Amino acid sequence: MPDKSSDLVQGTLDMLVLKTLALESMHGYGISVRIEQMSKGVFRPNAGSLFLAIQRLHRDGLIDGEWKTSENQRRAKYYALTEKGRKRLNNETREWGRQAAAIARILEAS
Amino acid sequence: MSLLRNLASGIRALFRKEQVDRELDEELRAYQEMAAEEKMRDGMSRKEALRAVRLEQGSLELTKQVVRSGGWESLVEACWQDLRFGLRTLRKSPGFTAVAVLTLALGIGANTAVFSVVNALVLRPLPVERPSELAFLENARYGPSQSFPNYKDLRDRNRTFTGLVGYRIAPMELETKRGAERIWGYLATGNYFNVLGIKPALGRFFDQNDDVHPGASPYAVLSYGAWQSRFGGDPFIVGKTIRLNRLPYTVLGVAPPDFHGTELFYWPEVWVPMMMQPRIESSNWLDDHGSSNTFVLGRLKPNVSPAEAEADLNALAAEMIRQFPDQNDGLHFKLAKPGLIGNMIGGPAKAFALGVLTLASLVLLAACTNLASMFTARATDRQRELAVRLAIGAGRSRVVRQVLTETLVLSLVGGAAGYLLASFISSALSRMRAPMDFPVQFNITVDWRVFLFALAGSIVAAGLAGFAPAWRASRTDPNAAVRGASATLGHSRLAFRDVLVVIQVALCFVLVSASFLSLRGLQHALQMNLGFQPQHVSTAAVELNLAGYSEERGRVFQRQALEAIQQLPGVQSAAYSNSVPLSIDQSHTDVFPDKTDLQPSDRITVVYYQVSPGFFETIGTPLLAGRDFTWRDDAKSPRVAIVNLAFAKRIFRADSPIGKTFPGWGNPVEVVGVVGDGKYETLTESQQPVLFWPILQSYNSTTTIEVKSSLPSTQMVSEVRQAITKLDPDLPLYSVGSLEQMLDSAFLPTRTAAIALSAFGVLAIMLAATGINGLVAYAVSRRTHEIGIRMAIGARPTEVLLLVLGKTAALLAFGSLVGLTLALAAGQVIASIVYETQPHDPLIMVSVWIGVALLGLLASWAPARRALRVDPMVALRYE
Repeated sequence: MPDKSSDLVQGTLDMLVLKTLALESMHGYGISVRIEQMSKGVFRPNAGSLFLAIQRLHRDGLIDGEWKTSENQRRAKYYALTEKGRKRLNNETREWGRQAAAIARILEAS
Repeated sequence: MSLLRNLASGIRALFRKEQVDRELDEELRAYQEMAAEEKMRDGMSRKEALRAVRLEQGSLELTKQVVRSGGWESLVEACWQDLRFGLRTLRKSPGFTAVAVLTLALGIGANTAVFSVVNALVLRPLPVERPSELAFLENARYGPSQSFPNYKDLRDRNRTFTGLVGYRIAPMELETKRGAERIWGYLATGNYFNVLGIKPALGRFFDQNDDVHPGASPYAVLSYGAWQSRFGGDPFIVGKTIRLNRLPYTVLGVAPPDFHGTELFYWPEVWVPMMMQPRIESSNWLDDHGSSNTFVLGRLKPNVSPAEAEADLNALAAEMIRQFPDQNDGLHFKLAKPGLIGNMIGGPAKAFALGVLTLASLVLLAACTNLASMFTARATDRQRELAVRLAIGAGRSRVVRQVLTETLVLSLVGGAAGYLLASFISSALSRMRAPMDFPVQFNITVDWRVFLFALAGSIVAAGLAGFAPAWRASRTDPNAAVRGASATLGHSRLAFRDVLVVIQVALCFVLVSASFLSLRGLQHALQMNLGFQPQHVSTAAVELNLAGYSEERGRVFQRQALEAIQQLPGVQSAAYSNSVPLSIDQSHTDVFPDKTDLQPSDRITVVYYQVSPGFFETIGTPLLAGRDFTWRDDAKSPRVAIVNLAFAKRIFRADSPIGKTFPGWGNPVEVVGVVGDGKYETLTESQQPVLFWPILQSYNSTTTIEVKSSLPSTQMVSEVRQAITKLDPDLPLYSVGSLEQMLDSAFLPTRTAAIALSAFGVLAIMLAATGINGLVAYAVSRRTHEIGIRMAIGARPTEVLLLVLGKTAALLAFGSLVGLTLALAAGQVIASIVYETQPHDPLIMVSVWIGVALLGLLASWAPARRALRVDPMVALRYE
């Protein structure tokens, strides 16, 4: 199976994790599944990159972690967006939109 | 905020490693379980599902590794790991570690100490304001001293100095509760402290207004040391009166602690205004154009070069010669670096310092070479280990970093040991007082910059040497290296190591032969003909003028003292004189040959002594012709003199000039005796003409008593002391001890040089031994396999030895040849420093050669034996 996460633009995984957590707090596997679902299977981050991103975001104070019991009676660490993380997500989303539009304009120009 | 949080999290990961690890582990496991559960829902068995997850996501451990390496703390941890691993491997090879640390300690320590000494001796500027502006005046004829009238002329008329100060080193007698004590101080002109820019620690300094009329400025400035040790740091010392030479002086102030006057080696206790010279010394020379007694130091105006200042001074000199042609004939000024009495001490001190510095650099080079070859050998030996580590997945940079960490650890340990050694040596040297009646002392402190330089040098040498093979190893095919194929690899590298060994052997040869040469020179010097026999002779001196004796009373005292001493039990003979040969105090006078139509250029400068009858017998100088002085050679009888052989040949061009006369102070002087030649001022001087006056015809208040006795010197000296005290209880004695002890000061330069050179020789031997040992050990370990095969097919032990030692012997021979060439060249330099050295002493060259060969054999002994013990089976199983 090809590693689709390598297709991810550098640094965008953080943004996707934040976006995922903006909807509801979630554990690592959940984030992974949600990203895959939302991208309709285009992105599927592997555990290494995902947890590296989680650790990074956690250290930057953008997300908080808490051990909880999952619906399947399994202990897992649930991550939630902090206020700071929410602000960051808004900024990045806006910035991404601007950049993506700009890139699209360049590519469409003939 | 986020930085803090990042830091806190990293630190938590470092210190609560297990907990953090467990959490990560649990989290990842949960992740895998959930992934597997999903797959199981798709119908896989649990086992299949777990396997699929692992295939998809990689192993749990690898993922953990990836996540962990994301934080900064992982780098810290890796370095810590490297450090621990480095220490462990170093502990596992104690021989290597010990030799490397020793090499580093010696190389760094010896060099730092030597540089610190040279710094204290030659390089350190005087501790005054803008020391680079200061210059010391020398003149072509009298060297470091100028006449005081000339000084005043220069001071008042020059246009290139902001100030010129005059000063003189002078002994004085300080009255203390224990009686009079002789101390050393400076007579200094009023502008001395102003021009130097010194701020007093207490009170004030004297200035121009305090130094106007002769005898009218009874002021004193104490050195910080004298204030502390003699006056207990009395905070109310300013304004108090001290008595110098039995006259009262008011203490004006105390000099700062780091100021020890304007000579680097001389630590005076007191400064007195120059105008007090007639009260401090016996004769007044302040207005005498013919007595050169003043050292002159000047501060150049900004933007004036020394050359411009010299031109200015010499323009003045031309005028001064016109005004006083007799006294100023040939006057020509030169500037020298201050601090070492111009070139008188500065010249030889610099030459010596340069020589020692060169040797020290050679030792540092040898140490670096040694380290380089040790590390090369070690790293090459470790190629297999490195290959294994690469094969099981260590990163290339990690492997190289590991080797560098080890080098660094070793260098730091060695550096610390070196620093300890250096500070031990320099504090020992600082505490050392030269055995003479003169406050000679150096302020030697370990120079940080030098230490760091030496440390950096050895780290770079070791690092480069260790890095190259590690880098190469990291690029080799681990597969081949693990199988032991490295034995065929890197034969080119061997050539580099060979060069290192040749350099090392050559350096060792040079250093060892240099120390042998100087030791042999010292031995010669100690046995040479001094012209007198210092054995069994004791001396003690008094200064009658300082003690307030008039000439008349002085003469009586001298005679009484001599008679008292002659009656002491055990005295074979006794005499007195103004000085003895090879002591610090030597006097000169000018003599003209016995001919008409004299030119100023006919003047011959001779050393003179004023001696009592019995002087030659007491110090053991042979009387070659004529007679000794008698007590009837006094002021009423015709003037007579005794000369040495060199004087007779030079002035009279005859071996026996008895009865001949030469002009002296208006009256003809008749030569009544000739004595053998000797050494008078330094051991290295060429034969000097010397003149002896009868002391009854030329009084001198400085009285050195010589006593020859079979009794031990300490006992004799204390009896002499008692006899003098009986005559005058307040009279201080100085230069007390055996004549042999006193000669120590004359032998000091030679001894110092010999000790320094021997120390370097020992260092070189140690370095060369470890170097050769490393070479052979390396050769053996590289060829264990080959030796095994050879022994298996029946090679005899001698053949194995030849195989191992053949190359070493060749390198030794070649290195010695290079060393011999260098040593012959270096011998010339050493001969100029250490007296009585024959630069091409064949005995020494041959013995050093044999020594180096033996050293080589000895150093290769252990590894060669290891080669003989190689078990063919073990060696072959290596494959």
